[in-house]
Amino acid sequence: MAKYIVRRILSAIPVLFGLSIVLFSFIHLLPGDPAAALLGQHATPELTAKIRQQLGLDQPLYVQYLQYLTQLLHGDLGKSVINNRPVITDFANRFPGTVELTLAALVFAVGIGIPLGRFAARHTQGWQDGVVTVISLFGISIPIFVLGLTLQYVVSVQLHWLPTSGRLDPRTTIPSVTNFMLIDTLLAGRPDAFVDALRHLILPAIALGSIPLAIITRITRASVLDVNNEDYVRTARAKGLTERRVDDRHIMRNAWLPVVTVIGLQVGGLLAGAVITETVFSWNGVGRWVVEAIQDHDYFVVQSSILIFAFIFLAVNLIVDIGYAYLNPRIRYA
Amino acid sequence: MTRTRFGALVAATMIVVAACGGSSATPAPSAASSAAPSSAASTAASTAPSTAPSAAASAAASTPKDGGTLVAGLPGDMVLADPSLVSDSNSSEIEGQVIQGLVGLKPGTNSELVPVLASALPTVSADGLTYTFTLRQGVKFHDGTDFNADAVVYNYTRQLNAPKSLQNDYNYYFGAVFGFGADSNLASVTATDASTVVFKLKTPQSNFLLATTLPQFGIQSPTALKAGDADNPDPSKSPYAQGQGGTGKSMVGTGPFMFKEWVPNDHVTLVKNPNYWDTANAAHLDAITFKPYADQTAELNALQAGDIDWAQTISPTDVKTVQSDSSLQVIDRGQSCNEFHLSLNDADKPFDNLQIRQAIGYALNKQSYIDAFYAGMAKVADNFMPPSTEFYKPLNLPTYDPAKAKSLIASSGVPASQLNLTFYYPSDVSRPYMPDPKGLAEAIANDLQAVGFTITFKTEGWRTGYLSDSSVGKFPMDLLGWTCDWAGPDNFLVTDLFYFNGSKPNPQFNYGPADLKAAFDAGISATTTAAAQQAWSTAQDILARDLPIIPILNSTPPAAAAAYVQGFVGSGNLEEQFNTTWLNK
Repeated sequence: MAKYIVRRILSAIPVLFGLSIVLFSFIHLLPGDPAAALLGQHATPELTAKIRQQLGLDQPLYVQYLQYLTQLLHGDLGKSVINNRPVITDFANRFPGTVELTLAALVFAVGIGIPLGRFAARHTQGWQDGVVTVISLFGISIPIFVLGLTLQYVVSVQLHWLPTSGRLDPRTTIPSVTNFMLIDTLLAGRPDAFVDALRHLILPAIALGSIPLAIITRITRASVLDVNNEDYVRTARAKGLTERRVDDRHIMRNAWLPVVTVIGLQVGGLLAGAVITETVFSWNGVGRWVVEAIQDHDYFVVQSSILIFAFIFLAVNLIVDIGYAYLNPRIRYA
Repeated sequence: MTRTRFGALVAATMIVVAACGGSSATPAPSAASSAAPSSAASTAASTAPSTAPSAAASAAASTPKDGGTLVAGLPGDMVLADPSLVSDSNSSEIEGQVIQGLVGLKPGTNSELVPVLASALPTVSADGLTYTFTLRQGVKFHDGTDFNADAVVYNYTRQLNAPKSLQNDYNYYFGAVFGFGADSNLASVTATDASTVVFKLKTPQSNFLLATTLPQFGIQSPTALKAGDADNPDPSKSPYAQGQGGTGKSMVGTGPFMFKEWVPNDHVTLVKNPNYWDTANAAHLDAITFKPYADQTAELNALQAGDIDWAQTISPTDVKTVQSDSSLQVIDRGQSCNEFHLSLNDADKPFDNLQIRQAIGYALNKQSYIDAFYAGMAKVADNFMPPSTEFYKPLNLPTYDPAKAKSLIASSGVPASQLNLTFYYPSDVSRPYMPDPKGLAEAIANDLQAVGFTITFKTEGWRTGYLSDSSVGKFPMDLLGWTCDWAGPDNFLVTDLFYFNGSKPNPQFNYGPADLKAAFDAGISATTTAAAQQAWSTAQDILARDLPIIPILNSTPPAAAAAYVQGFVGSGNLEEQFNTTWLNK
């Protein structure tokens, strides 16, 4: 097992290296450059050239890439062109916001998706299954930004039930300790602010969690139905076990495997979805920051933050695979 | 195997979903573009003018109340907490509440100078080279230190000698107005006594006073600047520029509001200055929190839900929505400080022909664009700069007359093959002077086709090619505009449009006769108001004579606020002061 883990970690290196080349090429192939972003309409050809030179953008691309790679190998993720702050500092400040949102979305998707999938599987012949199918189709086909803006309009603007955007009421100030708003509000001894932070979390979590919810529902339903037809389930029922015991001990134990895999895979999708969700809900996380960095051609921010994302995605996949072995002792990695 | 295949499927779905979201997340005021010039016209025009008087009347009707926090939505975050290092409008708006200059603009106007930290407008020597300012006494910075002549000298000197790495990209405005070090037009800034400062210029510079109204030329506490390492060549290492430490440590000025905290990408909070020197104009609000909203729809949602109290700009297509909600108000900004034009590259055929350019001027039904896309909040342009600019005069430019356009085309002798025009517009942006580029381009194209031109559309992303390609003259015809830095003729006619690099005209238009350059030079170096008036008047006449590009309109981008927000004085340059604002609740 240890060998397997080491091999997986080593195999991540060429993946990240390749990605760094792809990212570098993409962002540099994008028309325009940071000089234009810095100057906006004040850009004259002369001033643009001056700034390109100041930023080292007049160097050949391979020189710029090698410089970037050297920096990376020294553990330096570079600095923002716009405000010169180190990428790692801004990433560290914003990442908790993204994690908080992603976890909330995952809790929503898993907490509702699994019971819903089990419910649908139990009523395959009934109308209930049809309703669940429609809900999950809806969840998977509606774009996040449409769902997000609609939720904002209906729940916040029309009904005034929840706030539209941000992580906390702007009139409240809480000292930033962990940058996890739910934790910081508690550390500050402000239960009222904790509730406020929770209220701010609900709509973006639903918007971001809608697609994983649909997928988890579908896969749970399919997996439960699959296992339901197995001989050992029939045997268990024949033994006279209660339906509940059959469900818990024999069906769900075995149905978990694909569900856990899918949940792990959702993390990548959630990080991608967070980019949109954070923009719609003015959520101070990594996603919105990357969007703005792309618009500004802030090369190092885009390259390095997406590399970190990729690293996280690889790490989560590895953890899922290890968890897989735990859930199913028949699977052994060598 | 199944696992992998399913994973791939999920990943593909995610990419598709993310891609859909990304491309459509840009504000899409398609309703307006499909509504076209005529339909929305009458209703929009009739509702728009009513907003300003009612807001003004209710503000005047009751006495301001003190207290409360205003949450204000801006299109983006502050970049750095030192105005000398920023050139974006969001930073300027925030920092302008905190940091004051020697002179400023009368609230609600774009070019009426008033003394701020100077006790009066300066005396200027006859040769236009020496400006002498007498300063207000007893003014203190937010860190408790004294504002005096030494502080002014320190602030100008630090910018004059800005580290090389900060010049131009960070420190844009000082470079653009004066230049740095030995190349600067600013020869010296000296304190002759504690409350007198003398500026000496190398050549006369008539934009000196208007330019220095910008927050970039504001006076900050030398003590705090030094303590916060504000002149570090790397601004990320300067606690001052990074807004660390709170009141008295960063963004330390003399204004009615003081800096409190900045959480990047989340909010900036300012609090009332309890010891403001101008007691009659002290802030009513206890605090202002500025929040960045990347998405205009999300910002409007936040306003409607009561999460924010004020939104800096709303799309003109949302004006009706806001007006129909009795808990909200639209704020008309009064005088425009922008211009929107149809750029023509005069080196390209057929735009090298004056009659063709004039024909285009007569072909455009500019009022219809205002009715359809601006909710009536704009005026047809009759100049290359808005009416509130210094030395503005009406030029009697061509107005809508399609018959005249047709006859001009006929008499121009230009062959029909040259009447096929390639027309560029930006695909992914909404600007205060150009809320819906695609819709506007289509409306303009309709008018041009009606008089005999044929149009081929091309498009590029605003920052991904459009700005840079248009600035080097790659486009024969395109849409662009400008929001003023300051409302002087030089800022529109020279900086924005027809600047010369040596004797070479701006490659964007390839237009620049020698008499225009002479008029510009005379205007910029004029030492008396009469001489400046004369020179800029000549420059405007030359432009009217040649009509190198087609001015379309000057807009006043609307703001929106909760109905209880009172006393706010809007200004066309979008750099407003919040000291008069109060909450009626």
